[in-house]
Amino acid sequence: MSQTVETGAPAQAEPAKKKPALSEGKRAERRLGWLLCAPAAFVMVAVTGWPIIYSVWLSLQRYDLRFPDDREFVGLSNYAAVLTDKYWWTAFGITTLITVVSVVIELVLGMLLALIMHRTLVGRGLVRTVSLIPYGIVTVVAAFSWFYAWNTDTGYLTELLGAEAPLTQQIPSLLIIILAEVWKTTPFMALLLMAGLALVPDDLLKAASMDGATAWQRFTKVMIPVMKPAILVALLFRTLDAFRVFDNIFVLTKGANDTSSVSMQTYNNLIKGLNLGIGSTMSVLIFIAVAIIAFIFIKLFGAAAPGSDSGGKR
Amino acid sequence: MAVIAGSTTGRKAKWAVVDIVVVVYALIPVLWTVSLSFKTAETQTDKNFFPSAWTWQNYKDIFTTSEFIRALINSIGIALIATLIAVVLGTMAAYAIARLDFPGKRALVGVSLLIAMFPQVSLVSPLFEMERQLGLFDTWAGLIFPYITFALPLAIYTLSAFFREIPWELEKAAKMDGATPAQAFRRVIAPLAAPGVFTTAILVFIFCWNDFLFAISLTSTTASRTVPAALSFFTGASQFEAPTGTISAAAVVITIPIIFFVLFFQRRIVAGLTSGAVKG
Amino acid sequence: MVSTRTGGRGLSRWRAAIAGAVVLTAVPTIAACGSESGTTINVYLSPEQNFQTVVDRCNEQADGRYKIVYNKLPRDADGQREQMVRRLAAGDTGLDVLGLDVTWVPEFAEAKWLEEFTGENKADAEQGVLKGPLQTAMWNGKLYGATKNTNVQLLWYDDRVVQTPPETWDEMMDMSRQFKSDGKPFRILFTGAQYEGLVVQYNTLVASEGGEILSEDGKKVVMDQGAVDALKLLKDVSTSGLTDPSMPNAQEQQVQQALELPDTEAAFELNWPYVYAAMGAANPDRAKHLKWARYPGIDGPSKATIGGFNLAVSSLSLHKPEAFDAVLCLRGPESQKFQAICDGVPPTIESIYTDDATIEPCPAATTTDKPSMATAYPMRDTILEALKDPAVRPLTVVYQNLSTITSKVLSPPSEIDPDATAQELRDGLQKALDSKGVLP
Repeated sequence: MSQTVETGAPAQAEPAKKKPALSEGKRAERRLGWLLCAPAAFVMVAVTGWPIIYSVWLSLQRYDLRFPDDREFVGLSNYAAVLTDKYWWTAFGITTLITVVSVVIELVLGMLLALIMHRTLVGRGLVRTVSLIPYGIVTVVAAFSWFYAWNTDTGYLTELLGAEAPLTQQIPSLLIIILAEVWKTTPFMALLLMAGLALVPDDLLKAASMDGATAWQRFTKVMIPVMKPAILVALLFRTLDAFRVFDNIFVLTKGANDTSSVSMQTYNNLIKGLNLGIGSTMSVLIFIAVAIIAFIFIKLFGAAAPGSDSGGKR
Repeated sequence: MAVIAGSTTGRKAKWAVVDIVVVVYALIPVLWTVSLSFKTAETQTDKNFFPSAWTWQNYKDIFTTSEFIRALINSIGIALIATLIAVVLGTMAAYAIARLDFPGKRALVGVSLLIAMFPQVSLVSPLFEMERQLGLFDTWAGLIFPYITFALPLAIYTLSAFFREIPWELEKAAKMDGATPAQAFRRVIAPLAAPGVFTTAILVFIFCWNDFLFAISLTSTTASRTVPAALSFFTGASQFEAPTGTISAAAVVITIPIIFFVLFFQRRIVAGLTSGAVKG
Repeated sequence: MVSTRTGGRGLSRWRAAIAGAVVLTAVPTIAACGSESGTTINVYLSPEQNFQTVVDRCNEQADGRYKIVYNKLPRDADGQREQMVRRLAAGDTGLDVLGLDVTWVPEFAEAKWLEEFTGENKADAEQGVLKGPLQTAMWNGKLYGATKNTNVQLLWYDDRVVQTPPETWDEMMDMSRQFKSDGKPFRILFTGAQYEGLVVQYNTLVASEGGEILSEDGKKVVMDQGAVDALKLLKDVSTSGLTDPSMPNAQEQQVQQALELPDTEAAFELNWPYVYAAMGAANPDRAKHLKWARYPGIDGPSKATIGGFNLAVSSLSLHKPEAFDAVLCLRGPESQKFQAICDGVPPTIESIYTDDATIEPCPAATTTDKPSMATAYPMRDTILEALKDPAVRPLTVVYQNLSTITSKVLSPPSEIDPDATAQELRDGLQKALDSKGVLP
């Protein structure tokens, strides 16, 4: 890896060169780039390459494990079956609702928490560690803890708020599910945002305050722009995960009263129903939905996305 | 730390109050679990937040069988190894993506995002078959590889976000001072990327530590079963009873390593390393 | 090498780390091979506290011909099925004996994962077994499993509140209303969450009404008047104000715990017999007064749905004769009696119910008294009575689909409209039987 990278400088000086032959420095840069990416790329593709292709292939087939002789290629009819199913769209709507609401709340709370974790003058290590405990606890155990809190007979929160069996009605149980999601994963956002905050140069903030900027202006005009890449990562990955919510719903309501999510339905069809065709179709559809979300985010954030510029040469 | 005004006791007190609010909000459900782990069998179902009758029995129970201890060892080993490898591979790839120009960059970023997006539940069965053929089923490697794979997208995205923000001038300055690219990386870039690296390490570790889906599907004996999966095997008195006491105790025990991990690493996520580094 | 403030990402350090990682991952793999001699029979069953004792005893009996290894499956039924299906579908030969919930036999048999019991094995497995449980081990006239234990729900109550137990649902609701107006505990508890437990309740009501959900051969949906009447009863109970507010979200454990609360409002609990031992541990005071009766009927005695486990031999097993041998020992009369007394699971062999001989104290026992069915299992007579007139859940290959759809349509029970819901069930179940359509 001891290439002569100083020839990268002359390569910079000729961005408009149209000659197909690359300079020595550019070639070295490409080699270095490939070399650095190779292990990661190799592992990722080796582990998931075939499973993903196989899954997509299965979605084009009618394949029920209990009737192995009925297996046949049916093209897109699985997709037609799923997309015309009312249960699918209900689950889709609920999943979208939970995702949007919880991610918005998490972004706000996460930013607040990040600021606190970053700036607090007292007990910084304690606050940071304690704030991350919700994210560190096993999801099912945390979900069960919320179930206990809200169940009529054992619940200390139902008593506190005078609610009558909130987990048996749709809206209250959705709120509880969102609460459980937010509580659990805000630390994820907060951690990423806090690390992003760590990148904000102090001198910029000092200069801004000396120029008379208020705290809010310092926040929006100095901190947020520098944090944009971190915000994108946090939002993107959190939304991808939120869309696949399963554990909290399963423990709290088992999907009753139309609180089921697309992941639960996929699980029911794929694992319980042993219908590999329909189950894989749902997986692909979830993937497409999530891909659209990711696409929107990346477009929104533009230059903040990784790999979107030609090497960060500023 | 950005000090806008002088820190007086007043400001400290204000922060202390804020801290307490955060701690309470974060810990109430956790305290409930802790409380459950200390309750005796009779008082399990009373609604008291704090146990009226304390016992260590639940903790003794989970440690008497070798299964839980073995699961802990598996979890620690697998999570540490997977985190280490994922962070190293992710750092390399993220550096390349953020700083270098090469064809296939966009494709790699896209593919890693694709992997993060595809529902894992339908990948488990093909993965299981692959591992069975390769003899990796029910081994540490059988879990480490999938964990690295599914942690890499987050690692790459996070780390490249951090590498981007580091001014290119620093690297050029180092090179002009005579450092090789590797030295420039180690002495100049890596410390500045530290917040990102340690954040990524924390997130990847927690992901590997708490994963349930792969742990339950790609293991079948205590040889490689990790703690989240082992929780489903705890016996209650009957098939219909979840042993809340022992499960709560186990949950508390497995949260402790996370606390240490975070406590250790969060100190490294500090600000201000960029200030003053570029002169003029 | 150069050490940096980040604590050393120096080349040699991480090379060593990678090498260490490779070694660490290789060691368990290497260690796992080549440690077996002789035949190992792998049994896959849900975690049961004392099953290992049964396994040890059968190993002694095997006298070196084979060694049974107890591999635990997850506690929840869905998790068990998932594990076994994944491996059987992939052709894994490492599973020899499978612990199947009673509703899985048709499915596994049709997928050709089970080996049929024939000849002497069949005679042994069938001997003295109650008709209801035996039915769950058969598919298409062939025997695919040996019954290990069964289960049936009973009516549980505190005799300080309820002097004479009701025999029908109408009686129970009347008594409950009376208690309510008297200010005593009155609630009727049963599992109403959107899961298999709700299907079990509904199935019991349908059978007690004399109705049918599926035809005899399991190929057509019937949903006759009896089934519709059962819907009406379920709705009436759920809207009568006599049930627990969290009933639509209650599974067995919540129902069990509700009656264990010292200040409970519940008077009647419909649950499996495990609650007897559980009450003894959680609320010894009430346990002294805990009594049981048969599940309430409609016009006469009820036909309660039975649960339980069967042991089957995998068709992929490489040691089938030994596996059959192991199965017959693991669920033999001695094993069943031991597990009934020490694990509280009802046996399937009729003679055990009247067997009063004592056995050695259970492994975790706190006293040295020798228990017997009479002392440890006082509800055996009621259970036997219920088992002689049981209801079996529809025996069909697509049972999981039926269950998923039924539990979804019936949930929450208070929103049932007997005729409309019946039609919805007819359509949904027919589609499931034809393996068409998407599950909720």
